[in-house]
Amino acid sequence: MLTKELIGQIAQAAGLSKKDAEQLLATTNAVMRENLMAGKAIQLQGLGTLEIKERSARTIVHPRTGERSVIPSKQQLVFRPGSGMKGELKNA
Amino acid sequence: MADKLSWTELRRAVAARAGVSEKTAGAFLNALTSQLLEGLRTDKSVKINGLGTFKLQGVAPRKSVNVTTGEEIVIPGYNKIAFVPEIGVKELVERGESKEESGKSKVEGSEIDPIKKLGEQAEEIVDLLADLGQSPKETAPLKEERPLRSKKKEEPVAEPEPVAEEPVAEPEPIAEPEPVAEPEPVAEPEPEPEPVKEPEKPKKKYHFVRDLLICVVVLLLLLFGGYFFLRSQLTKWIESLAQPKEPTEVVVQPVEEPEPVVEPVVIDTVVPEPEPIVEPEPEPEPYSDLITIEEMHEASRLTWMAKRYYGDKKYWPYLYDANRDVITNPSRIKVGTPIRIPKLTKEQRDTTNAETKAHLEALRIEAEEACRKK
Repeated sequence: MLTKELIGQIAQAAGLSKKDAEQLLATTNAVMRENLMAGKAIQLQGLGTLEIKERSARTIVHPRTGERSVIPSKQQLVFRPGSGMKGELKNA
Repeated sequence: MADKLSWTELRRAVAARAGVSEKTAGAFLNALTSQLLEGLRTDKSVKINGLGTFKLQGVAPRKSVNVTTGEEIVIPGYNKIAFVPEIGVKELVERGESKEESGKSKVEGSEIDPIKKLGEQAEEIVDLLADLGQSPKETAPLKEERPLRSKKKEEPVAEPEPVAEEPVAEPEPIAEPEPVAEPEPVAEPEPEPEPVKEPEKPKKKYHFVRDLLICVVVLLLLLFGGYFFLRSQLTKWIESLAQPKEPTEVVVQPVEEPEPVVEPVVIDTVVPEPEPIVEPEPEPEPYSDLITIEEMHEASRLTWMAKRYYGDKKYWPYLYDANRDVITNPSRIKVGTPIRIPKLTKEQRDTTNAETKAHLEALRIEAEEACRKK
């Protein structure tokens, strides 16, 4: 499902115009992003949690040359599905 | 990361930002979640521009063993929810908070965190170095990697870090790699990164000049060869028209001799071509002298035979040419067909010669056309 289709569905379900739904989705994204960047996790009711996690640094060995190097730690946006969502889609 | 933005807070924030009532925002958000679930159920993936893609991934059922009873059990398959952030978002997150926040209002220790992290990283690296310290081989590549990596991180964030990193990072590796560099034969991976940078440039220049010289020499030889070849052919042709023009040939030969001064090896192969080729050019005869006759079996190909007997598969059209009576379609030769493998003359092998090349090419095209026919 693409964003456009999703917007159409949302508009229908919430009784909004497509334009409004699109705008609301954009603002929601913006709000979520800002809060994520500020270090907050975002709880999406019925879905799960969006948060930024740190992936710790690790060493890798180049398979061919055997060279060792360090991949530095980095921030990652992860989504942790909640139990409700998991259960609902388990056998979908 | 400790605190969460709850559903209500999110609703409030969206409502405030979009300038709509909280109720509409709530309705929208509820619709968003329900439709997202619905979309996942129907399409297995939902893309939200500006955020990422939610996907449903099937996990196949697998067998396992009950640990206590040793019974075999089947773990049923299920669906897993995966989320892939959009590339832009991912980069934004990786770069850290700095950019987003400079543009927008919230500043929450963003500039302290990355520094801390870099510090931690430096510590980790030092630990790693200590671990690897015994064997000099490994410290060297690490030393190489680190400046690169740390630079990447340093640039977007702030200047103070180099101070935090450098004192930790530099004093150690600098002391270590020097003894490593001298006993070169022991440390193999080490010499690569460092010395390569320096000798590369001179090598390139050297190669360039040498290649150019070789090119020029080869070109000259080719020109000479072509010239004499054409000339000799012309004379032959003229001879065939009118015999009394022998003297021209006499002129040709003395001119050929001085050439070897330039590069005797190459000339040996280039010069002899022109004259003999004109004579054996009537084709069918050169195939009279056979190396062997090989029977076609299931896995044989003309190209492979050519490779085996002549050293290069490019000569396979000769095989086709020599066996036209038994081969109708060279890509589908019947098993058991005897294939005559003729001896190739020097001229036939020499693909630097334009005429041989053209001949071979013509044969190849013919053979390929035969392939297409049936």
